[in-house]
Amino acid sequence: KAVVSTQSTGKLRGSIVPGSVVILLAGVHRGKRVVVLKQLPSGLLLVSGPYKINGVPLRRVDQAYVIATSTVVDLPALPEIGDAIFKRKGKPTKNEKEMFIDNTTEEPKISAEKIALQKEVDALVVPAVKKVAMLQSYLKSKFTLSKGVYPHDLKF
Amino acid sequence: MLYQRYIEIGRVCYIRLGDHAGKTCVVVDMVDQKHLLVDGPETGVPRCVLRLNQVAITDLKITIPRGCKTKKVRVELTKANIPAKFAKTSLAKKAAAKVAKANLGDFERFQVRVAKTLRNRKIRTTVRKMKKSS
Repeated sequence: KAVVSTQSTGKLRGSIVPGSVVILLAGVHRGKRVVVLKQLPSGLLLVSGPYKINGVPLRRVDQAYVIATSTVVDLPALPEIGDAIFKRKGKPTKNEKEMFIDNTTEEPKISAEKIALQKEVDALVVPAVKKVAMLQSYLKSKFTLSKGVYPHDLKF
Repeated sequence: MLYQRYIEIGRVCYIRLGDHAGKTCVVVDMVDQKHLLVDGPETGVPRCVLRLNQVAITDLKITIPRGCKTKKVRVELTKANIPAKFAKTSLAKKAAAKVAKANLGDFERFQVRVAKTLRNRKIRTTVRKMKKSS
């Protein structure tokens, strides 16, 4: 029996499955409720607002910075997405001659590839969200704490 | 009469505080002015001594002899159908509602909030209309 060594993805919390609605705790989108699409090979969660609903794009998120809720969206089969599209493009190094020549082209902030992928994924996820009553407005809303609300007492 | 319900042998009580909070039991004997010997075979309360202030009296009562065995208490409880009768009382319903509220998930809490907002909005508009017309 051949022993194949596979690099294991980090252990995923039992409460998080593909389709889980999850509350983001840190970053620009903190407080927003978001749909988990899958766990990437790097161990991070791939998450999408969906962008149309709450402005959270296809994004990687560490499961430690997330509260898992018990709501699960019934997701259809999604296109294959890996860590590759999230890789940051390094700045091109200039040699001595070109140091004072500004020939950088204005690159768009978000690649066309990402935008197209976002649209493709949203076209699948948004209908799945709309099937459940009030789920769309739930994803639009933010999680907030108010007086008398203690997270350790809450059930998610 | 000042009081309608009395602590007596066979009185069904609701335990408010302590280890067995939220369960019902039957008074089997009085230990002293402030302590009761209590038993709840149907609800999982072992035969134990409780303080009077841990307990709230219900309307329900069964006939048992003082200090009788747990077996007899169980028989009398099922004969009088106490578990079903207690579930109908407002005390039981309120306790169940409290438990249900604590067990709401994040989505359910959102739905409750939305429902409350819509309901209050309806009430306010109706009241405003009534004020206008009067």
